[in-house]
Amino acid sequence: MIQVTDIQKTYNDGKVQVQALRGIDLVIKEGEFTAIVGPSGSGKTTLLNIIGGLDSPNYGKVKIGNTDIAQLTENELIDFRLNHIGFVFQSYNLIPVLTAKENVEFLMLLQKKDDKERNERTTKLLVSVGLEDQINKKPNEMSGGQQQRVAVARALASKPDFVLADEPTANLDSTATANLLDIMLRLNQEENITFIFSTHDQRVIDRARRVITMEDGKILSDSMKQMTDK
Amino acid sequence: MLLKLAWRNIFRNKRRSIITTSSVIFAVLFAVFMRSLQQGAYGNMLKNIVGSYMGYIQIHSKGFWAEKTLDNSFNVSDIMHLTEQEGITHVSPRVEGFALASVGDISKPVALLGLDANLEKEYIHLDKKLVSGKYFSDDNQGLLIGKGLQEIMQLSLGDSLVFLGQGYQGSVASGSYPIIGVVDLKTPELNKRTVLMNLDLAQSFYGLPNLVTTAVVGINHENWQAAQATTIGAVDTTLLEVMNWQEMLPELKQLISVDKAGGTFVLIILYSIITFSLFGTVLMLTEERSFEYGVLIAVGMAKTKVIQVAVLETLILAAVGVIAGLVVAFPFVLYFYINPINLSGQMQEVVERFGFEALIPTSLNPSIALTHSGIIFCIVLIVNIYTVVKIKRLNPITSMRK
Ligand SMILES: Nc1ncnc2c1ncn2[C@@H]1O[C@H](COP(=O)(O)OP(=O)(O)OP(=O)(O)O)[C@@H](O)[C@H]1O
Ligand SMILES: [Mg+2]
Repeated sequence: MIQVTDIQKTYNDGKVQVQALRGIDLVIKEGEFTAIVGPSGSGKTTLLNIIGGLDSPNYGKVKIGNTDIAQLTENELIDFRLNHIGFVFQSYNLIPVLTAKENVEFLMLLQKKDDKERNERTTKLLVSVGLEDQINKKPNEMSGGQQQRVAVARALASKPDFVLADEPTANLDSTATANLLDIMLRLNQEENITFIFSTHDQRVIDRARRVITMEDGKILSDSMKQMTDK
Repeated sequence: MLLKLAWRNIFRNKRRSIITTSSVIFAVLFAVFMRSLQQGAYGNMLKNIVGSYMGYIQIHSKGFWAEKTLDNSFNVSDIMHLTEQEGITHVSPRVEGFALASVGDISKPVALLGLDANLEKEYIHLDKKLVSGKYFSDDNQGLLIGKGLQEIMQLSLGDSLVFLGQGYQGSVASGSYPIIGVVDLKTPELNKRTVLMNLDLAQSFYGLPNLVTTAVVGINHENWQAAQATTIGAVDTTLLEVMNWQEMLPELKQLISVDKAGGTFVLIILYSIITFSLFGTVLMLTEERSFEYGVLIAVGMAKTKVIQVAVLETLILAAVGVIAGLVVAFPFVLYFYINPINLSGQMQEVVERFGFEALIPTSLNPSIALTHSGIIFCIVLIVNIYTVVKIKRLNPITSMRK
């Protein structure tokens, strides 16, 4: 469970002060498939970065499970991200010198998982994102959609508590977007993986189960839908 | 895995990697070759001047070296116990004086030296230095002369040289002895003015009652500093002086240190250039990779591991450069070790005027290769301080925004 309490964040950009978040309260439970939406500049990225421990709030608290992440040192926080949070980025951010398989395997190596477990899980994940025939390709030999699927597999490799994805489909065409969402939804339903993602794309919003709308650093609405399987 | 990442990163910009490695290769090649040439030259000088005749350490009666008078002499049995000391192989007694040598109407001042024929044969292989004639035998009354002196005075074997000089306590020393052999003492200076005779004969010529002026302390290794300390501890230094080659030949010591300093200066410039080249590479790498480093840190890679990957990359480049540099340098060094550089023309004259053989072999001392490889690795580690600081301070959000 993720518990966000009264998060406030102000950027001090030299002269200008920007209040990116003005008091966010939020609880996200295991197994959710949640979209964070809102106009540009409403604070979606800032919120996701703070939940992911990449940025720190000026005020308020983020609790993940029983951990108040503000209490962790920098190194503990990095280690916490490795073991508890999966990240999918807008521009994929795979390691260019590593193949699809190696990119997925990487976090498990950092977790010191043994060879057998690593190989099995890597193969399983690449199969589940439909890339079993691309395992030895480097990122620049794959399409954007394929790279983002590798990124999803990478995010899941470390068996995180939840996956954070900031506009994961922004760089993808509609086919690739639909494809990625299918995969994420299936992983959510079949393996109970928690996804929290931000998006501008109405087709993506339509498929989310919970939609949190932000504006001006505040939550405007928070609605849970019945799943409409297509 | 870290190694794999670093290794693959190297091939991302092949041209830069090649340039960086080449600069290291060049530095190692140049530094090793230059230093081995220098060390070889010094080693050769030392071997010729010090090793072949004078010895690294000598004992004299106090004041002898400054005044060079036979009155400053001592009884060699006072110091024979030195041979029992660790690191000291033998003690060779000598009588060293000056006399005017004449044959017919040619006269020349010479160093007329008496030495123990058997000891010098065993330890400095004096018999091997003969170019003609034969070596001393025990009852021999004959002379060995330097080959330069033979040329100047146009002497041949069997000729007798007449000597006139000052003996012990103001007496007049004179005598006439036949030449039985000609020796090459390896340094032109010594060859031109040296006449050798048996110790007993020299003692009777100079009227020295069982005394010597000089004792060469034979040492085990080239570690003469240690041997000198041992010697000083074991003899009566109120009566005797223990001198090393640097004290006896300050010009040689100075020549070597000036030459070394010149070489060091050149190397400092070379290494500064290499430092900048490596620093440039590190700067570019850190800049280029900062996006990826940000990603790695964001997804949970410890900063120390990211640092390892980054430092490994330049370390591998340097290691390849060092190894290749040594591999290229080795045949050069070996070639000039086997075929020493023979100075000719003006250089030869200059060098010989200083009393050195105009022949420069390289040194095969492995410490040269080790030193310069070590320096390169130190430079790599130092310039990577930048990488460490940069990554320590890296904020994944900022670096991923680029
Ligand atoms: N590093 C920063 N320095 C200063 N201001 C910032 C910084 N990051 C974000 N902001 C500001 O904070 C506000 C919220 O930004 P944020 O990126 O969270 O919005 P967003 O909802 O993700 O927008 P988008 O849909 O364009 O991605 C914006 O006004 C933005 O200009
Ligand atoms: Mg955003």
